[in-house]
Amino acid sequence: MANQDFIVTAPPHIKSKEMVSSGMRDVAIALIPLVAVSLGFFRLYALVNIIACVGTALVCELVMRKLMGRKATIGDFSAVVTGLLLALILPPTVPFWWAMIGTVIAVAIVKELMGGLGYNLFNPALFGFASLIILSRLFGPISKSLSLGAIDGVTSATPLTFIKTVGSGLAGLRPGYWNLFFGHAGGAMGEVSVLAVLVGAAYLLYKRQITWHIPASIIGTVFILTAILGKNPLYMIMAGGLMLGSFFMATDWVTSPDSKVAQIVYGVIIGVLVVVIRLYAAPTGAVAYSILIGNALTPLLNRVFVPRKFGALKEVA
Amino acid sequence: MELKTFRGGIHPPYQKEATAHKATEDISLPAEVVIPMQQHVGAPNSPTVNVGDRVEAGQKIGTSDAFISAPVHTSVSGTVKAIEDRPDFTGAPVKSVVITVDPGQHTRWADRKDTGSLTPEQIRDIAKEAGLVGLGGAAFPTYVKLSPPAGKPIDTVVINGCECEPFLTCDHRLMLERSDELIAGLKLMMKAVGADRGVIGVEANKADAADALSAKLAGDPSIEVVLLEVKYPEGAEKMLIDAISGRRVPPGKLPSEVGVLVQNVQTAVALYDAASTGKPVIDRVITITGPGIKQPKNVNVKIGTSIEHVIEQCGGLAGSPGKVIMGGPMTGWAQKNLSAAVAKGTSGVLVLTREAVDYGAEQQCVGCDKCLDVCPMFLMPNFIAKYARRGQWEMADKYGALDCFECGCCSYKCPARIPHVAYVRKAKAELAAAEKK
Repeated sequence: MANQDFIVTAPPHIKSKEMVSSGMRDVAIALIPLVAVSLGFFRLYALVNIIACVGTALVCELVMRKLMGRKATIGDFSAVVTGLLLALILPPTVPFWWAMIGTVIAVAIVKELMGGLGYNLFNPALFGFASLIILSRLFGPISKSLSLGAIDGVTSATPLTFIKTVGSGLAGLRPGYWNLFFGHAGGAMGEVSVLAVLVGAAYLLYKRQITWHIPASIIGTVFILTAILGKNPLYMIMAGGLMLGSFFMATDWVTSPDSKVAQIVYGVIIGVLVVVIRLYAAPTGAVAYSILIGNALTPLLNRVFVPRKFGALKEVA
Repeated sequence: MELKTFRGGIHPPYQKEATAHKATEDISLPAEVVIPMQQHVGAPNSPTVNVGDRVEAGQKIGTSDAFISAPVHTSVSGTVKAIEDRPDFTGAPVKSVVITVDPGQHTRWADRKDTGSLTPEQIRDIAKEAGLVGLGGAAFPTYVKLSPPAGKPIDTVVINGCECEPFLTCDHRLMLERSDELIAGLKLMMKAVGADRGVIGVEANKADAADALSAKLAGDPSIEVVLLEVKYPEGAEKMLIDAISGRRVPPGKLPSEVGVLVQNVQTAVALYDAASTGKPVIDRVITITGPGIKQPKNVNVKIGTSIEHVIEQCGGLAGSPGKVIMGGPMTGWAQKNLSAAVAKGTSGVLVLTREAVDYGAEQQCVGCDKCLDVCPMFLMPNFIAKYARRGQWEMADKYGALDCFECGCCSYKCPARIPHVAYVRKAKAELAAAEKK
């Protein structure tokens, strides 16, 4: 038995099978119901934008990592997830090359220029989306001449238009709960069906890739605060991108806080922002803005809310 | 019945089938043994023998005057061949006595005598003279633990029969094969610290051992066998106390703070052996296992035997061995070669194949928070690793570096393959160095 050299590392010497790629793959799998419903409702519009976003995301990641001399990470599925999410939060009628610009911002700038997956402060897909809203306003006159249409309100009547009008005479025109739940073509592609979002969310919860803390605290806060303000809470949580944002965006591993207490505080902050922005500012993009503000607060929340150590007394932080 | 447990932890594949049902075997003696002068937490011993001396098995060959220390004895009869630094199982050079083993060994211990009349003081002396340390792996001198600080009465002695490390089965076998001695050892410990209550905590995957012990304890209300959930690290001192009693030892404190003493199965058996026959700690049961071992076994080994000899006695290496680990897969020490000697705290030798230890490279943390969910100490391993990597030791401590007992749950779970335990060790060393300045 020769004294060959064996591998020496610190323990542990066994590892779970979980990988970053398996987590991202689970998110992609969880989006399948929503993608399917979107394709069903929007057909070619949806197909073109999804292909454009996912394709652009993959190319951007490959090129950027090559340019910056980093190891290729295309296998970790995160570019696929970013592309899918961005496609889903855009209205289906957005021209595909607008969607591609958003994806370039998301992947090339927000993710890769920050250092790659894990280093980014903001959720790439949401940042790309918010950038497109701003750019569309900036280039409004030009885009009109190019007949691009605006990003927000591009589909004639998004369900969110009715948020402020609940109780008024217009209320009869808004889509019903069952439509919002099973499927309704208005707003972004990912807003068509609450059910599709919940099926995907259930999968992520089952696979323990996300926990209930962030989505429950966002949705709960939105529901309660809307009720306090005398608006329709059920409509508020079912319309727009709240479900998609709560389960798929706010729970983003990289950009959300780490301890459970910090996650609940984060969720409450986002929930309050959603209600305030929706009711008193612009309903479109309220969820995206709120989560991005939450992202910016994440490093602070991580410093403030350090869990109490095992056996520590209550007064010891 | 709901099984008791703690919060956090992991469920790794246990892989105990290869040896769980194999009775403990004796193995042949090696040609020489290497007895390190330090096999415990505390001050090292100085050799009390010289090169060329004849020694008899069980003879004391190293002592120290320090309070926290444990003497060492030669495990064999033979001749002192050398006294020199040898790398121990951690790879660090430790002064060791090398003994050439006599072909004929006649070790004879006294016939078992009754231990019922021993006083607490005598029990502590026996533990000290026998060189008894925590045989579960921590190797903390037992008589120190049997001397609780004044004003902190101990009401419960817990025997750790969890054996929560995957692969290892030596404690399981001892609970089955030496249950009488285990119970007698526990009673000695209870007497030494004045505790009325004894508990033997056993994970539910060793129900046969729990049943065997319960049967022997029928009609004895002072000792209870408690079944625990199969979860790692159920046998970690603080987790075990929490699971059994609901008491949580505060950060930086010892179990005596909450009136509990925890000892390993094998320590209790060895205490009874020492008290009843005068036999010091010169051998122990270890598990030789893993896909890289031809014939996995539980074996009784003399302290100081090289793992090379032990592995040969188990048919040798199989397949393409990648890692040789002394201890369990979660906390054991990876060996560069097979020269290290079995010490008092060695619970097993595990050989994993090259394929099994190819986990992929460390990646950037993606903030999945799974390390927080599994950490039984409720620390933030992600930030300990992050700040340790940057050399910000104070920040690493803020997130719990010094409270970490290196169970490895975080690294096991981490999808980015971050070696948190390595970072924690680095942070602890740096923080200790900064403290000295």
